[in-house]
Amino acid sequence: MKRGLFNKSSLREISGRRKRWSDCISEPGEGKAESRTLSGIPVKPLYAPDDLPDFGYQDRLGFPGEEPFTRGVYHTMYRGRTWTQRQLAGFGPPEETNQRYKFLLEQGATGINGVFDYPTLRGYDSTDPEARADVGRGGVAIDTLEDMRILFEGIPVDRVSTSLVTCQPICNIIVQSMYFANAQARGIPFDRLAGTSQNDFLMETVIAIAPVVLPPEVSFKLSCDAIEYCSRRVPRWNPVSFAGYNYREAGCTAVQEAGFTIANAVACTEELIRRGFSADQFAPRLSFFFSAHNDFFEEVCKYRAARRLWAKVMKERFGARNTRSMMLRFHVQTAGVSLTAQQPLNNITRAAYQALSAVLGGAQSIHVDAYDEALCVPTELSSLTALRTQQILQSETGVTATIDPLGGSYFVEALTDELEKAMAGVIDEIDRMGGIVEAVKRGWIHQEISNAAYDYQRRIESGEQVAVGINTFRIEDEKLPIELFKLPETLRVQEMKLEKIKKERSAAQVRKMLDRVAVACDRGENLMEVMLEAVKAFTTEGELAGVLKKQYGVWNPPLFI
Amino acid sequence: MAGKIRILIARLGLDAHWRGSIVVARALRDAGVEVIYVGNQRPEAIVKAAVEENVDFVGLSTLSGNHMELVPEVVRLMREAGIPEIPVLLGGTIPPDDVPKLKEIGIDGIFGPGTALKDIVSHVSKRA
Repeated sequence: MKRGLFNKSSLREISGRRKRWSDCISEPGEGKAESRTLSGIPVKPLYAPDDLPDFGYQDRLGFPGEEPFTRGVYHTMYRGRTWTQRQLAGFGPPEETNQRYKFLLEQGATGINGVFDYPTLRGYDSTDPEARADVGRGGVAIDTLEDMRILFEGIPVDRVSTSLVTCQPICNIIVQSMYFANAQARGIPFDRLAGTSQNDFLMETVIAIAPVVLPPEVSFKLSCDAIEYCSRRVPRWNPVSFAGYNYREAGCTAVQEAGFTIANAVACTEELIRRGFSADQFAPRLSFFFSAHNDFFEEVCKYRAARRLWAKVMKERFGARNTRSMMLRFHVQTAGVSLTAQQPLNNITRAAYQALSAVLGGAQSIHVDAYDEALCVPTELSSLTALRTQQILQSETGVTATIDPLGGSYFVEALTDELEKAMAGVIDEIDRMGGIVEAVKRGWIHQEISNAAYDYQRRIESGEQVAVGINTFRIEDEKLPIELFKLPETLRVQEMKLEKIKKERSAAQVRKMLDRVAVACDRGENLMEVMLEAVKAFTTEGELAGVLKKQYGVWNPPLFI
Repeated sequence: MAGKIRILIARLGLDAHWRGSIVVARALRDAGVEVIYVGNQRPEAIVKAAVEENVDFVGLSTLSGNHMELVPEVVRLMREAGIPEIPVLLGGTIPPDDVPKLKEIGIDGIFGPGTALKDIVSHVSKRA
């Protein structure tokens, strides 16, 4: 029998004392009657040992770097190596974003986090009529291998780890291939490449729906193709980053964010096992991406609970034996959706508190949002301020000295338990539906997120949820105190490059490669090998994605529910 | 105006963010407005739907920054299609400098980040 940390007679005495204390504060007007976390979990005014009657230290916490990893995935955590400061960057043509990457690295960023524009994420060339108005917006424009060469020119990709925010699998399978092909052309072997691709099928089919969407099972297949290929060929690459952050941005609660994320990882694990792998052959490279939202303690506990739950899932459900398969390693971005366009400098404070929750929760890498992100792409000044926020947190506050410093707090442990239970409930519900691909096809995930988003907004409207500068402490007729970013000319730059490449490349070779991709689609093969060859012939992203859409067909996602 | 107010809601270009448009659509529906939600559409398709659905409002949403290209295009095509009188509403991340230019081409309401749902609902309902 597992023994709890507290003995029965002490717990009885504490419960008695608690009763006396709570009688003292039961006078009306002494604090709000009820309080809940952002995801709706009730929170008491005070926690004590009697909130953790069966708490077993080894069972619930253990030591850092050991099962169940509640206290962190590494033995030394930030004492050994601090989190990677990975500021998101991407806008305009690759020539411009290359300069921003270099600027951030010069200023002390320790990794690259590259985001792509709307057309690139959806598999369109910059010159496509659907795409022209969005070229260079929200990220950098990539059309061919030549753009990838320019994007990383002068950046030591064998030494700096790169996160490719290739959200949609349709984009990832092409753009990640360009990244690998570019490294090859520079003479860098695949085993020297460290980094992460987002590659999450929920991004394509639920979170960031485009006018043309691949069917969920196809998008899921492409995601698994990249995982399979990388686990064989690119051993230091994390081929997927389950993008809970973005689910949260679309409206999820903290519980749904982690629940959907782990359910997605479960589906990929099942598929890779079906393809003949054992969990330990690929699971050490599965990675996760979470939000740091406003509810400080709920966020800290979310990371701890997700870590413990994932370790259990891998061990008990999938028979993982390598402890690395059980480690939930994650990147965090502070919540873009919590930023306000009003009084934008307040966002510096918001993001700093949010980043602190990620650090106390044991994140492996962090992006802090810039103060102007509710208004525009970050300027150089706002990006630098965000990076400095991380540097101050790391070097001035002393938070890196002690691992999991909130571990053992009665409140934090009780809330971690509650969150884990609720996340497991979400995963069970999805299992009963037949898994996350099925849940997407039915529109259930869309419905859940839409409900949560509407509910959150209504709580802001009613004032139940406070948003400083929005529903309280407003400044009427505020004059914007900051300069906004101006997007550099992009479409013409991309148009000229594309025109030149199309003139210079071998049309016969392009035709041949596109045909080979089509055949590989029809045969149900893993597309990574053929994509890697195809991008080297300077096929465009739009041409390659066009083949995928033609061969696989498209899906009509539920629009309004 | 007889019967229910009808509004077409569309997202512009390849913008990925649906949260705002869906939340507004649900608030309008809860307030008794009939919402025709068409997702991401090209300007031509938006105008065609507005004509066919005989709507009282066209609501456009974008957070990608494509509004200065695509909103004037929708307005121009509405004029060509003979429906210049239908008010166009715009929601999303619209930098303050763009607001006067959009008002000038006749955009009836611009709702940026932080707008209260009740303000959008009352803007639409007062035309009833």
